[in-house]
Amino acid sequence: MAWIADASLATAVSEGGGLGLIAAMNADPEWLRTEIRLAKELTKKPFGVNIMMKSPFVDAVAQVVVEEGVQIVTTGAGNPERFMQSWLAAGIKVLPVVPSVAIARRMENYGAAAVIAEGCESGGHIGELTTMALVPLVSDAVSIPVVAAGGIADGRGVAAAFMLGAVGVQVGTRFLVANECTVHPNYKQKILNAKDIDTVATGKRLGHPVRALKNKFTEEFLKKEYDPNTSFEELEALGVGALRLAAKEGDLEQGCFIAGQSAAFVKKEQPAAQIIREMITEAENLLRGTNQWLK
Amino acid sequence: MNVFEKVAEIIANHTDTPVADITMEASFEEIGLDSLDIVDLVMAMEDTFSVKIELSQSIKKVGDLVTVIESLKQ
Ligand SMILES: Cc1cc2nc3c(=O)[nH]c(=O)nc-3n(C[C@H](O)[C@H](O)[C@H](O)COP(=O)(O)O)c2cc1C
Repeated sequence: MAWIADASLATAVSEGGGLGLIAAMNADPEWLRTEIRLAKELTKKPFGVNIMMKSPFVDAVAQVVVEEGVQIVTTGAGNPERFMQSWLAAGIKVLPVVPSVAIARRMENYGAAAVIAEGCESGGHIGELTTMALVPLVSDAVSIPVVAAGGIADGRGVAAAFMLGAVGVQVGTRFLVANECTVHPNYKQKILNAKDIDTVATGKRLGHPVRALKNKFTEEFLKKEYDPNTSFEELEALGVGALRLAAKEGDLEQGCFIAGQSAAFVKKEQPAAQIIREMITEAENLLRGTNQWLK
Repeated sequence: MNVFEKVAEIIANHTDTPVADITMEASFEEIGLDSLDIVDLVMAMEDTFSVKIELSQSIKKVGDLVTVIESLKQ
């Protein structure tokens, strides 16, 4: 999660029983190197790095994970094919986020350890399919493990994901309000206040839509998006830096508060470990109760 | 059936485009395919021709795909 998932959040998640991720986002390679080294000091547990394929530094960042001996890499917002060989050669386990069956199959052919099937309920860059449809389709299409993402923020989502064929879940939005997440307090407050209809997808016209909480920024972006006089370049430029404004400055008007639909059921700030424990305990209890549906 | 004819048939099956409109020069954009559709097509091509096609920026029109497949089949 760009500008958000740093060593602090990643190691809190790993210490709490999850697999924490440091997001390389659009940051320069030296920022990532520093965070990886810091994370290694903060935890002995495994953690991974997420590489955003649209980053201007993607090539350099792809090299840093090899140099720093990172063991797990996830990728988002694009196709990581050209890096797969060098990562696999370095012994890295690669888990690409996939928006479709065809891409999932390609990633399996390219040696992915697992794929993350992410539905469009999620925050950030999104595809067209929902988690409910994508996870079973991808589970049928590949023989590597499938991780479900998008709209999962409590035990019900976790239990449902298992039923759909996933063997794990990836959670973004709920961790935005983890105590160890260093985003601006305004960001956390917006998540806590969000209700069902408070997110929108902007940038469909650009071919890479992003889900975020509605505010002045998304309203103006959408106005420009549907104005035929706005060029692609102008539209692209509008989004640049907006996430940083939200995450670092808490700018309620010009910031882009990326979040998934599940923001509506995120109700309190807690330690990451507690979020994980709550979700898993709830899922276990639900799964134990599934007999009620059987004759 | 040569490679082009087979490719055109697969594209026609994946879209609502009549086979006659699928020429070597037709771009995927004109046929109405986005990047996800292209990956879907490429996977269908891999299955049909038993080849491994690298996805790169240079696959923009039908002819590009045909050329890649022909060179891999040799
Ligand atoms: C603020 C934010 C930033 C994100 N940034 C990235 C990113 O840089 N790379 C990526 O692969 N996914 C990113 N995601 C998506 C998450 O990794 C995850 O798949 C998604 O949040 C899951 O759905 P949920 O939001 O419903 O929990 C981001 C999500 C959020 C909320």
